Formats: sequence, structure tokens, C-alpha cells
Amino acid sequence: MFVMREEHGNVAPALVQKGEDLGNVRIDVPYQLVNILETVYPSSPGKIAVLTRRCDEKALAELFKRGLLDEARIVMIGLACSKEQIRLCRCEDPVPSRVVVGEPNAPAKGDELETRLSGMTPDERLKFWTGQFRKCNKCFACTTNCPVCFCDECILEDRTFVPEKGIPPGLSFHLIRSFHLADKCIECGECERSCPASIPLLTLRKMALKDVKGLFNYRPGEKKTTSPLLTTLDDQPLAGEGCDEC
Amino acid sequence: MPRVGVFICHCGHNIASVVDVEKVAAYAKTLPDVVVAEHNLYSCSEEGLGSIKKSIEENKLDRVVVAACTPRTHEPLFRKICEQAGVNKYLFEFVNIREHVSWIHAKEPASATEKAKSLVAMGVAKAALLEPQQETESSVIPRAVVIGGGLAGLAAASSLVAQDIETELIERQSELGGILRNVAIIGPEFEDSKKLLDSYTKRLTTSPKAHIHLDSRVTAVKGFVGSFEVTVSEKGVAKKIPAGAIIVATGARELVPMEYGFGNLPGVITQLELEKMLAKGQIPKRAVFIQCVGSRQPGREYCSRICCNVSLKNAMRILSADPTASVSILHRDIMSYGTASERLYRQASEKGVKFMRYGLESPAKVSKKDDHLMVDVYDETLDESIGLETDLVVLATPMTSQEDATEVGKLLKVPLDKNGFFLEAHVKLRPVEFATDGVFVCGSARWPSSAREVICQGLAAAAKAAIPIRRGKVVIEAITASSDPERCAACGNCVAACPYEAIEITTIDGKRVAKVNETQCKGCGTCVASCPNDAMQQRGFTTNQLSAMIDALIKSTVEGT
Amino acid sequence: MAEFQPTILAFCCNWCSYAGADLAGVSRLQMPSNVHVIRVMCSASVKPEYVMKAVSQGVDGVLVLGCHIGDCHYMTGNHRTAKRIPLVKKLIDDMGIDEKRVRLDWVSAAEGEKFQKVITEFVKEIEGLGPNPLRGVRF
Repeated sequence: MFVMREEHGNVAPALVQKGEDLGNVRIDVPYQLVNILETVYPSSPGKIAVLTRRCDEKALAELFKRGLLDEARIVMIGLACSKEQIRLCRCEDPVPSRVVVGEPNAPAKGDELETRLSGMTPDERLKFWTGQFRKCNKCFACTTNCPVCFCDECILEDRTFVPEKGIPPGLSFHLIRSFHLADKCIECGECERSCPASIPLLTLRKMALKDVKGLFNYRPGEKKTTSPLLTTLDDQPLAGEGCDEC
Repeated sequence: MPRVGVFICHCGHNIASVVDVEKVAAYAKTLPDVVVAEHNLYSCSEEGLGSIKKSIEENKLDRVVVAACTPRTHEPLFRKICEQAGVNKYLFEFVNIREHVSWIHAKEPASATEKAKSLVAMGVAKAALLEPQQETESSVIPRAVVIGGGLAGLAAASSLVAQDIETELIERQSELGGILRNVAIIGPEFEDSKKLLDSYTKRLTTSPKAHIHLDSRVTAVKGFVGSFEVTVSEKGVAKKIPAGAIIVATGARELVPMEYGFGNLPGVITQLELEKMLAKGQIPKRAVFIQCVGSRQPGREYCSRICCNVSLKNAMRILSADPTASVSILHRDIMSYGTASERLYRQASEKGVKFMRYGLESPAKVSKKDDHLMVDVYDETLDESIGLETDLVVLATPMTSQEDATEVGKLLKVPLDKNGFFLEAHVKLRPVEFATDGVFVCGSARWPSSAREVICQGLAAAAKAAIPIRRGKVVIEAITASSDPERCAACGNCVAACPYEAIEITTIDGKRVAKVNETQCKGCGTCVASCPNDAMQQRGFTTNQLSAMIDALIKSTVEGT
Repeated sequence: MAEFQPTILAFCCNWCSYAGADLAGVSRLQMPSNVHVIRVMCSASVKPEYVMKAVSQGVDGVLVLGCHIGDCHYMTGNHRTAKRIPLVKKLIDDMGIDEKRVRLDWVSAAEGEKFQKVITEFVKEIEGLGPNPLRGVRF
């Protein structure tokens, strides 16, 4: 079982083998274990159980449908988020399909910053984001800790699309990230929590997801759906059902 | 370090009268990696080509940029010169400064020259990153598959076997002949359709090269020109047929009308129903034909081309059998194109057929009156409403695409136009072939055609299909895609996006990666754009190359250098 | 102050829009000289990243021109383009860049006049919007 565990005052991910003592499992620490599930699961045969919040469940759905993780080997233990966690994530979908741990709570009412930004003029919005992105130092914490960001070599590491030498990177860094995530992001908020410059990345993700919902009526996080960016205009994927090749 | 040569063409004064060619050449010389920049009066002339070749050799160039007209005409020509001079033909880049500059900015020579400079800078940036490519050859299976055993398919198959090519004819019904089995006499020459069909069928049944499959349907098509695998279900049994070329001759069907009381009033029939009656010798005393029923109107705007001729032919048949019969044709224009049909129109008129023009906004009304029918129509020419008493009302409806046309299109990966008929590569420049190599189309599947037209198209398709089969091999242009297994994260985006199912996820050295079947790849690049981390690249259009073009544009404009 | 001359990038597909542009040339249809064409085989091969890169580095407008839906030489290639580009527009709008700076349109090989119209309209529109606010911005 894969959990966050406290030992000697430190909280870290831990892979607990069958029969081993679970120890002090901390369910209040908001780290996306799914993100590093890939690194432990190949070396550990058999099945792995992992505490999954609703966002983890959705992240796993995105990874399963691309064949990046084997659904048969993962047991999800549904974890309902606390009121505080829901507030911090501005989460509108906080309850997993099957709740095993924790009490289900009501979703948040929306993202206050997002509402404010949508009401601004484009110039005001540009001023806001350039002000934020000025702080970016290309630490790649957001990509590393994102559960649905799966490329080992990231396109943003090359100078092809992010030609600026040094920091901060140009707007293309953030635009491209936004685009790549638009059909996959499950709003876990890890990017925002990991960013050392406190850039409100979760808000940016929510804006993109709203765009995708508006354009294609699509929400990431389902196992059976294919990204609208890959299907034809009548929503037919061409190679069988979505990525069944995998 | 690439050695780029730039050749700016005057194209007489087509380019040079607007663009300062010498300035552009001088500018080109300052670009990175450019070792020589020249200008020629007519680059495509023997002299021009010769001078380019000489320059390549003398300057030991390994990348060539020509700034002239459009690559869509002369790219093969310059590529050949590169090859002759020892430079791989894929190390050549064409910049368009005629159709895209001098001809469209004729009154602004200064900005045209600046634009030409930027375009050349972009071309040079791409050329410097081009890599040599080898074209692959694929052998062609010497067999053709013809889908559809109507007149089009019969004509095509007959031509193919006459050329000594193994031909498999696939027909879904139990008999050959298609829609013409229901039409005894064909206009405008009043030919016996059975004789016509039999003459083609005989050519097939007496040839050892022809293989006819009745009660058969195509259920799957894999492969590409030269190496197709067509799966046919013959009477329920699946068979796989390897083929080098495929001809689509699936025909069309008569639209079933919804207006004028069809289905409710006895005596209101379709053209095919009339054919049946006439074949049985049932000649009506009075007949009214209504043309353009369900066509040339919102929702179905095309003219079905043959219905007027068919009505004229049938009107004449009625009058030949019974000279006292009364025939009227209500129309919105008579489309009797061609001398024979025009003659028929005049003869019909002379024989007493009444032609009445009606408008889309005021269609005729058909009602029952005692034991016959009443047709009330507003005749536009007479500016009068006329009432016609008749025994039969014949509705001339258009031909529409077959109900399985979309499926067939998907099976063969060929497009349909907005009316559901197959869309050929180009109406004038590439008739009877699809943009997809090795697949051809003829007959009413393409658009409603007369019997003679259908035969002509069948022969044309057979002639074109024979080309790759005779050649024995096809060359695949080296602009296909390939995935870098080191970068690939096997996310499957490319697999889902490829319109040709040419990509699959496979395991190489224990790692799951995407792999492109390069013989099936058509070089569209859809996969490249769906790849999140640049693992997928298209030869000749790599992300490095196109990004370098964007950078060059910015450098020469936004940054003003 | 010198009049603003926009720098515009256009991606044209070989079979339709590039041929349409050629036809406009052959027909001597005059238009502003701000648009620079990059030829690709299919509009579907235009990576959204190219558009975002161009906008981010100061290009004032980006045009993506493909075959009409239903006429794509590669069958359904342009369906993907039809979805990707509107999303790019929304995302740049989220960031505060006018989404009118990116335009998707369909030009067939026979539509020289449409090509002229699209170019002329787009250049005028971008002139009205002014230079890309990111020009020369190093945050």
C-alpha cells in the first residue's frame, strides 16, 4: 500500500508491504501519490493499494486510458477530502466514487480569483499574468509533481518553443503547458502548491478547463472518453475506441 | 556546417519588376550558413538550371534554396538539378516570391522586397536544417479489385482483363447489372440495356483473368497502393484478396419521393416503376412527368443530370407504342445536354409532348379525380394555371448516394462530398481518381451519370488503375512521420489522431513506444501536432525546421535585422 | 510616428490554402504585404505550439488556413485543426492577449478571392489591434 506516513516528525511517501505495520498514516497531507505511483509500481509485483482522493481517481482514469498504468494492478482506496482541503483547492468535485476513509463534504463554490480575472479586460489580465510569470524560474516543480504530466523529456526543456535564455521563460512556456493540460488536468492543485513563486497555477488550470468544457463539453477524468483534441468533429476517434491500441 | 546556396529568380520581369532581386540576393548573402547568393533571369530555363548546377558544384553547396515561383509547379525540376549536381533532392527548399509576393504586391515594390527578404531568410533557416532522405519503393500486387457489378464496374473490369490484369469483381447482389437491370431501354439512342450489359458480362465470364464474386461485400480494407488487402464476405464466408489497385463502382440509387401524393395516390409512381410498367407493355393513355422532384431545392441543391433525358426517352417510348397517348413534362429547365439528347428533346416536342415550366415556389398539385388523377400546375411560360387529367404521374427524382456510401468511404479512407457522392482528387486535373493513391472511382457513385458516361468513366478508371500495376512499383515520397523511441512517452495521441491508422504502440527494447508504418503513412503530420513532447517528427517538416522559420521571420521583422 | 506595419504568419496547407494563395497570385489579386506563408502538408500538422510560440515572441497575428471541412486531402486532418485552434484562441485570451490575433479559416484551391479577402481583412484587424503587447517584453 502506498501512503503518506509520518516518521520521526517527517511526512513522506511510503510503500508498505503486506503484513507490515502501516504506522502513522497522514491523510491530511495533500500530496498526489499518484504522481510517483509509476516509479514504485514496476518494481513491486502484484497489486498496489493507494489512497485516492477524487482528483487522484480522475488522474488514474487519464493514465489508465492511455495505457500508462495497468488498472488491474491498482486498488483505489477512496479518501474524502476535509473541508479545509476543499477550501484550499477551491474544489468543485471533492468526493471519490467510493468513500472508504473520511467524511464526504460539500464542494467549494468556485475560484474567487478566476471570477475576478474573467471580469477583467484583456489588458488587465495580461498585466496580472505577466506580473505573475515574471516570478517563474523554470524550476519545473509544476511539471514534476503533476500527476497527469507523463513525458520524461519535456518539450519545455528545449529552446525550440521556449527560446529565452535564462529566466523568466517567455509566455510560451505557460501557454504550452496550459494547452497540454487542457484535456487532462484534474484540478488536484499540486502545481500551485509546489510552485516556489506562489503563482496561482490552479486558477489558470481552471480557466483552461472552463474553455474546454465550453468548446467541447468535455471534462477530463473519465476512463471511457477520448480527448476531443484527438477525435473528429463528430467525436469519432479513428483508431477503434480511443486509445485501445495501448 | 551546412553550405547553403541561394538563387533568386527574376522570372523575366514577373518578379524583377516589383522585387529588387539584387537587393534580396545581397541580403541573402548575409544570412547564416549562406556561402553564395546569385540571381538568374529564368531559373527554370536550360541556362538558368545549368548555372545553378554549376554553382552547386563549384561552391560545394550541400543545401539549395531557390526563390522563384510556386513549388507546386517546379519543385520536381529543381530537385532533379540538385540530384544531378550530387545533392540529395530533399536538401532543396523552394521560396515563393512570385505568386506570393511580386504578383500580389505589384504597387508596393519596397515592402514587396522586404517581404521577399524575410521569406528568403525563412527558407534559408529551414534549408540549413534539412536532412537527406531516401525514398522507399514498394512493389505492386498485379491484381485489381472492382467494387460494384453494375455497368461502371463491368466496363472497368472488362477493360482490366483485356489488359491481362487479374481482376476481382465484387457485387453485393446475386446478379450483375446494377440499376440498369430495371431499365430495359437506354436513351438517347434507345439501346437494349440487356444486350449492353451482356456484352460486358460475356467479356468477363469468358476471361480466365476475371473472377466474379456475387452476394459479396467488402468488409475491410488494409494497406496502401500496391499492397492492399481487401477482405470480402462472399455468401458469409470471409476471403482476403491481395490487390494493387481498387476501383469503386458502387453506383447510386433512386431517391424515394415524399411529395405529390406518392405512396397515397395510386398512379403516382417513380421513374423506375415506370420502367417496369413499360417493360411489361403497360402503356399509359395519359402520363404527366414531373421533373426535379426532391432536387434543385434547399436540402438537395444538385441537378441529377440524367432525369430529363430519362423522361424524354420514356415519353418517346410511350408515344411510339401508342401514338394517341398524351404526355406532358412539367419541368424547371430541361437538361438535355449533348447533340443526341437535344435532338431527342426536339423530336419529343414534335411528337406532341407538352412541356410546361413550373417554379420552385409553385409546385404542381396532384389529386384524385374519379378513377384517374388531376394535376394542377401554374405554367410560367403561359402565365396560366393549367389542369391536366392523367392516368399516371411519373416523379423524376434524383439519384442519391447509396445507403452504405459513408461506410465504403470509411473502409477505403476516401472522402465524400456534401451530397454523399465520392469526391475525386480534382475534377479537371485528376478525374476518376481519389487523392488516396491506388483507389479510383467511376460511374454514378461519383455523380449521377448516363450509361455512356458511365462506360467512359469505367474505362478511364481501368486505364489509371493499370498504371501502378504495369509499373510494378510505387515510390513513396519521403515526407513520412517517425517517432523517436527515446522521447516517446507512448501516450497514444498519435495513434488516435492518425487518419490512416498507420501508427501503433509497440514495445522496443522493453519500452512501450509509438511506431509509424511508413508505407501506410501519407505524410499529413496530424500525429506530429498531437505529440506533446516532439517525439513524433515529419521528414522535411520537423519542428526544428519550422521553428527556425518562425525565428527567422521574427528576426527579420519584429527585431528588424 | 511611423504607421504600424503588422508582422503576420500564415500556415497554409499544400493542397488547398497554399494552392488558393497561388491562384490569388495568378489572378493578380492585390493585398497587403504583411503576411508570410509557411507551407505545410496539412493544416492538421500545424502544432498549436507554433502558434503559441509565434504569439509569445511578438508576431502580431497568426493565420491557420486549411481545406474546408469534408474536403481535407487527408480526410479528417482538418477536424483536429478545427478543434485545436479555437482552444489556442481561448487560452491566449485567458492570458490577456486578444484572441482575434489568431485566426482559423478554410480556403480551397479554387478560392483565390477568398484568400485575398481573408488576408486583407485580417491585416486590417491586426492594424486596429496594434502591435502585439508582448513585443520585446522580457517580463
